[in-house]
Amino acid sequence: MNILKIYMKSNFKITKNDDNVVSKEKKSEKNEELTEEEFEDYMSKAGAVGSFMVFRSNTKKDELGIDSL
Amino acid sequence: MSDLNEFSVNENTFKKMLNEKNNSKFKNLSWDEWFENMLSKKSVMIPNMLEKVVRKFYEKDFDEWVTNFAGNLNFIWKESSAGELPIKKNQQMKSAIVIGRGPSLKKFNHLEILAKSDYSGAVVCSDGILKDALESGVNPEKFSNFYVVTTDPYKEQKLLYDHKIIDEFGAKIKGIFSTLMNPDAAKRARESGINIFWLHPLFDYHEGKKSFNKIAALMVRAKNHVQGLPAIQTGGNVGTSAWFVSWQILKCNTVSLIGINHGWEQNDPLELIQSHGHNSNLQILDENDPKFKKLYPTIFNPDFKTFCILDPIFQYYSNALKEFISRSPSHITTINCTEGGSIFGNNITGMYFNQFLDKHPR
Repeated sequence: MNILKIYMKSNFKITKNDDNVVSKEKKSEKNEELTEEEFEDYMSKAGAVGSFMVFRSNTKKDELGIDSL
Repeated sequence: MSDLNEFSVNENTFKKMLNEKNNSKFKNLSWDEWFENMLSKKSVMIPNMLEKVVRKFYEKDFDEWVTNFAGNLNFIWKESSAGELPIKKNQQMKSAIVIGRGPSLKKFNHLEILAKSDYSGAVVCSDGILKDALESGVNPEKFSNFYVVTTDPYKEQKLLYDHKIIDEFGAKIKGIFSTLMNPDAAKRARESGINIFWLHPLFDYHEGKKSFNKIAALMVRAKNHVQGLPAIQTGGNVGTSAWFVSWQILKCNTVSLIGINHGWEQNDPLELIQSHGHNSNLQILDENDPKFKKLYPTIFNPDFKTFCILDPIFQYYSNALKEFISRSPSHITTINCTEGGSIFGNNITGMYFNQFLDKHPR
């Protein structure tokens, strides 16, 4: 298989992390995940209401509206 | 990746990347900007979660919506269908300007710019900005094709119509209202002289014959409106509804957007961002909380080279509107003149508002 090499110029400084930092980051990423319950609680506190709902249908054309219902 | 920041991809992958980039707004921008945008798509997870969660909120609100419909039905039978609104060809109106109430309106004086312009196309106000628009000189005496849209079903919508200046211009304003609108809000709009045109907001039509959308449609058809009413995708908010109204109901081929930020400015207060603009002093997460960045990503708008912060609700709105614009028919042109915010991408042209007014006088 043909392989292309792409050389990326970074616009940020790359620093090498030691193992401890990496493991901390992984732990932090894990903690970032929000459960649906947490999210629902957040949305409830932020004032979410049902009228925010986007209409979805298996008939994708209907999602863009119906001329005469 | 090596120390030189190089990595390898196979030829097919590279072709796909190149194709994706060239078919996007990033064609003439750097690979870095394209990658940045692609990586920000991780935030799609939140809108998907929100679709599930909002459904639960809808189930709580369902009774109120049905009650609203019952309160409106006699008026729906007597008043007009939004299907009667398409602009007559001899008026040669090709475009509409949708006005949301995002912070860019004040930041760039867009209402004042519009008021001073000779624009002769349709002006489609979201209900929340109607009063401000009229006070800025954007009114139906200057813009004869002047519309206001309400899709939210809440009693608070009444307050948006309860203003002297709306009473002053009401008789020349066409109101495009959802059949689920709060009847007291519709009553107040009617009292101001607004001429009402009804449409259905789609929400459970996919559930078939016994869906409320279907039942409501049958009830409306029972008297006067034998052809029924148009039904629109609201996109969950009045700004997106107004975009749909502009091309689906008014049949305008070009739709421009002002005040449709669907996002926050970077210097907006955290309380405002976290309460989705309710200014409720509700601060759920500390800025340093790891969840904060996930819930409130900062995104780059490549059209205007600006940044904005999305709360989860704006992520949901923004993704939906961008999706629907990308799926709109090829003869529809959407021009975002908001000069910032989160609406950019496929089928969306970013343009400064002054330029739009020069290029699209009607």
